[in-house]
Amino acid sequence: MSSGDENFFAGFMDDYFAECDEHLASIREQLLRLERGGEGAAADRDTLDELFRNFHSIKGISGMVDLREAELLAHQLETYLRAVRDSGAFGADGLDSLFDGITLLERTIAARREGTPPPSLDAIVRRLATAAAGIGSPSPAAPVQTSGDHGAANWRVVFAPTPDGAARGMNVDSVRSRLRSAATIVHAVPRVLPEGIAFEFTLAGDLSEPLIAEWRADGLTVEPVVPEPAAAEPEAEAELARGLQPSHVVRVDLTKLDDLMRIIGDLVISRARLEESLARVARHVPPVEWRHVQEGTASIERQLRELREGIVRVRLVPVGEIFRRMPFTVRDLAREQGKKVHLAMDGANTEIDKYLVERMLDPLVHLVRNAVSHGIELPDRRVAAGKPAEGTLRLSAAGVGDAVLIEIADDGAGIDGAAVAERARAAGLPVPSGPLDDKALLDLICTPGFSTREVADRASGRGVGMSVVKSTVAELNGTIALHTTPGQGTRYVIELPLTLSIADALIATMGERTFAVPQVAVREVVEVDAASLRPLGGQEVAPFRDGALPIVRVSRLFGLPDSDRPRLHVFVIGSGDSAVGLAVDRITGQREIVVRTMADTLVRVEGISGATDLGDGRVVLILDPLALARRGRRLEHGVPA
Amino acid sequence: MASLREVCTGGFVEAASGLEAIEQLALGPTALMVLDLNMPDMHGLEVLRFVRAHQAYRALPIVVLTTRGDETSRTAAAAAGASLFQTKPFTPHALAGQIRQLLEASAGQVRP
Repeated sequence: MSSGDENFFAGFMDDYFAECDEHLASIREQLLRLERGGEGAAADRDTLDELFRNFHSIKGISGMVDLREAELLAHQLETYLRAVRDSGAFGADGLDSLFDGITLLERTIAARREGTPPPSLDAIVRRLATAAAGIGSPSPAAPVQTSGDHGAANWRVVFAPTPDGAARGMNVDSVRSRLRSAATIVHAVPRVLPEGIAFEFTLAGDLSEPLIAEWRADGLTVEPVVPEPAAAEPEAEAELARGLQPSHVVRVDLTKLDDLMRIIGDLVISRARLEESLARVARHVPPVEWRHVQEGTASIERQLRELREGIVRVRLVPVGEIFRRMPFTVRDLAREQGKKVHLAMDGANTEIDKYLVERMLDPLVHLVRNAVSHGIELPDRRVAAGKPAEGTLRLSAAGVGDAVLIEIADDGAGIDGAAVAERARAAGLPVPSGPLDDKALLDLICTPGFSTREVADRASGRGVGMSVVKSTVAELNGTIALHTTPGQGTRYVIELPLTLSIADALIATMGERTFAVPQVAVREVVEVDAASLRPLGGQEVAPFRDGALPIVRVSRLFGLPDSDRPRLHVFVIGSGDSAVGLAVDRITGQREIVVRTMADTLVRVEGISGATDLGDGRVVLILDPLALARRGRRLEHGVPA
Repeated sequence: MASLREVCTGGFVEAASGLEAIEQLALGPTALMVLDLNMPDMHGLEVLRFVRAHQAYRALPIVVLTTRGDETSRTAAAAAGASLFQTKPFTPHALAGQIRQLLEASAGQVRP
């Protein structure tokens, strides 16, 4: 097989997985609706129909890629749903079987994607069949048959055509005739296997050993049939036809959007370069002409910005894509641990860059698992503490300017600071003396090597710990904060930039050097009198509003000489008690910059998030104000940076 | 038939059933498929859907033969990705014309 074919099959499987993801996402959405209705409630017909369609599609496409397990399970789920729809009730254990069945279906598809063995489906298939039978609907396809109707064994024969075989007369027609002379062909379908196109014949009848051997010698695959899902029922087909709406959605490979974004980035730089050149020739151009030129560049700038925003919007997906997975995680874990958890979600429609969604999935799942495992108490414990037996876990998301805030809050026991400190000491980690504030607590539990009960329960084992949560957020130029109150609950607040590659920035100078500072991190800009700076505990503070603002001279962080200017410009980072001022010589302008992150770990420096081309050929470093503020605070506490 | 031979310089293969038609795709490069809807084993629409589901053949020109007045099949085939239609009965010349047109349009994409 040529490499082109391999690419083709890889692409085919990618399509399959993408399509499965879409159906599974829709399934999760429908399930949420079902769950809101409760087990006793009459099932909402539309929801059931939609679920039915999803299972039917997964069954079909799974068959096409020869993922038998997924095909079988989807079929069984479909059968059960038909029974539900006919009777209007879920039956005993029904809704649980449905949830478990879907979890297994996801795992089966994921196993194929990851190349791991699929989970065992025997138990769930039996449960679903029992549940369907229990509702009492005479479902035509419900019982799983292990043998043909007439007591004869069923066989599956797979024939893959090849040019060589065809030359020897081995073609689908001759194979079909041979099979027909030995048994009854129940059905014959083309399949797409990893090796290429193949034909699969299902035979009913007894095959003799010599015959099987002969067929195998001719390159046919012959095997007894495992329970075979029945072919699509006419009813389902009709339903599909009715449900198919013209689609207005295209699926785009993320790398193509990345390419577009890169091109726009280059355009932004070219425009900046053009503006620089124009500025140089400005005095040679008559004023009237010059105004036209300026209008021209101004509208190009505006259109570029619109184009950029358009691409950014294309990349945005609702954060609900992550949220929708959580009910399963919470439900499974709560059941496993005998807890009662109500999951509330706000702002699932808040949009966020697709890349961020993908990167944040595992960290958020980890935080949610933590909240259920370690935050929310057992029902009797909660009642004893005067709280409702059912704990509440709230996921919320909101857009704030160029950033997205994601919160995970539970009303559980909160984090026991003393226990964390003890644990950290036991693990040999340095622990600050005195009571730990939320920030110190977060730093400790995010230290690699620290883990509380994680080792023991299933919440671990995914290769994600708090340290990974923190580092992922940091890599995405975001921040994470912890707020915990013993007895009342824990809340994590994650702030992420909406998108990564192009940002508005303030351009600042220190001596002869120029730096860019992403505007999103800057709360405000103030000018301070250098003479008004007062030393305080190895640090300087400036009068600010009614209080004092700790000042970090960026020059000192980079080992540059202090400025001799009488007035300094200060970026205010953070708010309230955690506000820090980053002092530079002068802020010279504001512009769009294209962020080139420094991927090479050898050149990564804390406090520098990347570099950008200003358009005049100068490459300047982009400061990471949050990291600088952190580093500044450490200096303040006398800890070496 | 004579005019078909003339158009299909790379040669053409007749398939007596849907499975055979699909088999031909597996056996070698195919520039174009003429598909009748009524076949002994698979319905032409099934063949069409199977082929179109297959990424490598999304661009394969497919002429679907339909019967006069059968608008339903025609709509279904259009939805399933047929490139052109030929209403039966037709003259070989008409079909050859369509094939030539499709082959020219897809020249450079698929090797004839």
